[in-house]
Amino acid sequence: MPDESNFCPECGRSVGQLERPRPVAGGGGWADFLDKAWDFFASTRVAVVLIALVAAASVLGSLIEQEHLYQDWRPPELYYPVRYGPFWGNLYMRLGLTHAYSSAWYATLILLVVISLIICSLHRLLPLHRMLTRPQVWKLPHFVRHQEITHEVAGGLADMEAKLRKRGYKVLRERECLYADRGRLSRYGPYIIHVGLLIVAFAAVGKAVPAWNQTSDVWIPDGQTVKVPDTNFAITNYKFTMETLPNGMPTRFATDAAIAQDGREIKRQTIEVNKPMSHLGWEIYQTSWREEPGVAYVRVNNQTGQMVTNLAVDLRQPEQEYRITDQVKMVILAYYHDFIVDQQTQQPANASFEIKNPVIMAEFIDHQGKSLGRAALMIRAADKSYFTGAYGLAVERVETRWYTALKLHKDKTVPFMYAGLAVVMVGMVITFFLFHWQVWVREERGRLLIGARAYKNKFGLKQDLKRLLGMDAGEGTTAI
Amino acid sequence: MTQGTLLTASAWLLGLAFAGYLAATLLYGAGVIGGRISRGARFARAGGWATNAHLLAVVLHFLAILARWQGAGHWPTSNMYEFIGFMAFTSQLAFQVIIRMYRLTVLGALVGPLGVFLMAYSYVFPPKVQPLVPALKSYWLPLHVSMAALGEGFFAVAFGAALLYLLRVRGLELAAEAGGQGNVAVGSESVTMPAADARQSRWERTWGLRGMEILFYFVCVMAGFTLLALLFRYAGFQWLFANSTYHLPPMIGPQFEPVGSKGDLFGLIPMPLFAAPSWMRGKHMNTLLYSLAVGALLYWAVRHWLAKGQPIGDWLARKAGGDPELLDEISYRAVAIGYPVFTLGGLVFAMLWAKEAWGDYWFWDPKETWALIAWLVYSAYLHIRITHGWEGRRSAWLAVLGFGVILFTLIGVNLLIVGVHSYAGGDL
Repeated sequence: MPDESNFCPECGRSVGQLERPRPVAGGGGWADFLDKAWDFFASTRVAVVLIALVAAASVLGSLIEQEHLYQDWRPPELYYPVRYGPFWGNLYMRLGLTHAYSSAWYATLILLVVISLIICSLHRLLPLHRMLTRPQVWKLPHFVRHQEITHEVAGGLADMEAKLRKRGYKVLRERECLYADRGRLSRYGPYIIHVGLLIVAFAAVGKAVPAWNQTSDVWIPDGQTVKVPDTNFAITNYKFTMETLPNGMPTRFATDAAIAQDGREIKRQTIEVNKPMSHLGWEIYQTSWREEPGVAYVRVNNQTGQMVTNLAVDLRQPEQEYRITDQVKMVILAYYHDFIVDQQTQQPANASFEIKNPVIMAEFIDHQGKSLGRAALMIRAADKSYFTGAYGLAVERVETRWYTALKLHKDKTVPFMYAGLAVVMVGMVITFFLFHWQVWVREERGRLLIGARAYKNKFGLKQDLKRLLGMDAGEGTTAI
Repeated sequence: MTQGTLLTASAWLLGLAFAGYLAATLLYGAGVIGGRISRGARFARAGGWATNAHLLAVVLHFLAILARWQGAGHWPTSNMYEFIGFMAFTSQLAFQVIIRMYRLTVLGALVGPLGVFLMAYSYVFPPKVQPLVPALKSYWLPLHVSMAALGEGFFAVAFGAALLYLLRVRGLELAAEAGGQGNVAVGSESVTMPAADARQSRWERTWGLRGMEILFYFVCVMAGFTLLALLFRYAGFQWLFANSTYHLPPMIGPQFEPVGSKGDLFGLIPMPLFAAPSWMRGKHMNTLLYSLAVGALLYWAVRHWLAKGQPIGDWLARKAGGDPELLDEISYRAVAIGYPVFTLGGLVFAMLWAKEAWGDYWFWDPKETWALIAWLVYSAYLHIRITHGWEGRRSAWLAVLGFGVILFTLIGVNLLIVGVHSYAGGDL
């Protein structure tokens, strides 16, 4: 980030890019190309342009609805032509704008930024380290006089050295010159941030490795256990709870859940939004819920309307036959969870995958295999019951079945991501809350020439020097 | 105290804080303009009074936040009303930090009004206390939102200083054109044009001036929107559609709404005049249209009556004071404090919370993406400042742009783009 080559080593002024000596490559070829590429990526301007390009690409991706965010049942090929019109919708999809952040061009941009980040850092870190640890103490008067902050006072070097040390500067002396600095660590800060960002980038790329980033969604009805695919454990949902305000706004979703492995329950915990459960590297989150007609309690009547028996029919998966009496059984001929009559074929069919309009068609058979009649029952409309023969059906009540939706996520990149972020934050504190101040002093005929440069917080250094020299700090600024 | 009492106390404290910011702004203005007229002889202490009045307002604002926290039962950053008010608070808190480092009165004359404006803008949204949805019930709500807002507060101060820098440099340019030299005496110190800005290409010059006017037009649009919204809210007008309620006369109706279904305005203009396209909600588009129109009117009025026909940027540039070098330093310092705070609050805490609430630390949700974009802009700013030839005005423009991106992240994303954060939306 900070570019030492921008400053003239003699006078400390900003002079722009210096031509650095370059190994003479034998007239082009790979060496020359690599050299040029290195110089290209080492430039701060190129880095700024690349950052701007990533920002622009991110803007584009946020303006067009992304494939993983739109809320519609249609697949992208059907959704986008409707959403943006046939021409634009197809164009966006073709350009990858509908999955911008996983597209090839976005990945390329990120790759370029990473290359720039590495080369910029390598290019500057060694010269910087050398400059900080082995500074040139002896300087010409010309150099000292041309610093950002200069003073000329009476006094001696020894006295000056003591004062500077007292204020926490590290001091080096050589003949009639003195060099002092403090907050040196601050200059390494940007490189620490860069290292942190590289770890973050590594973690982000790692997400693309399937084994490092597994997710699965499970829907579990109340009181049931579901085996989680690709794992060796099952999750039980003892009860899903939703609390709402009188106006219907939900205030809490919670699942009383347990984990079972090899048939034994090993862990039981309430999973809530913002309170996931952890198990063997898997995080289990409350994501959604659903209710549907669960069990229908069906009354079997005889011809006079008297009840013969009660049946509990699971509307998700009815039994193939039910026992009515010792002699008679009811065989389910057909079951539709969302009954309609198909317009084209004029045959009964299901309209959706959900249980919306369940219909049971059954036949009563006695122990000799003789049919005693048939019955059809539309659960939603209890009066719509048709029967021929000895038995009829009626709905007593329908029990609602609650489902909880849990999301399981196993992400091995998380520790890397968090470590990277921690390094970035440490680097930021070092970069922005420490200041590197440099002071050069030269003794000239009993007077001291003082020149100082602040890498950051110049006004703070000004005040510091004024106080050190016993001058009135003056109005306008204070050093903090 | 009961919850109702606390909420009432909070509202009163908020009103007092608003008055305090207003007073401080006026005092800062008096310090700058009065000092200028009397050549530093009078109004010398107005700046000090202003800073004290401002500090008092910040303290009152903080008490108002605490009272609402206790009264509402959750940290008050859960809807737009609370958040924009909180953002006003953090921007003024950041200003207090910066003004105590660099005692520069003129900065207050610019950042003070920003606080006043943000507070006024917060009143646009319904101030009712709403219970938290489950997703927001987490200790991350105060941590993530407050930290992000604090960083954004420092960016607001950086924006103020950068804008002042641009105006000041333009003022020096104008003075040089008029007097034939680049040095202008301000008080006892002589101020020179920063070396990096002495030369400009024609393109930069033209677009520098245009950009400044575009910026002031945006300011007028936001002010116009706030005025309109408050006016029509308290007037209580309503136009009901199937899925939305308009408070402004519907010129652009919801999608597929037939023309003139809500009668007409003054018997002349049918309402709505158009139906909204599929890519934007009719209500938002309608509000945007009004804001742009009223903004244009305001801009014209300021330029015509106050600036006497000259561009607003030039008019203000002649009034602006301060050492450009110091302004540049202040702007940089504010970003240098805001950037780590924003990174921690706006990105790192956001990622930690997302992991806990939604099961993954990054979703490319529009709000998240825009926080990243803002972060990238400020990263570019920090790099551009050390690039030879790009310091000065270019980096100042980037600090201005950065704050524009922040505002879009907070307000624009909610209005224009729908995402996971959309529950934070307001009503207008």
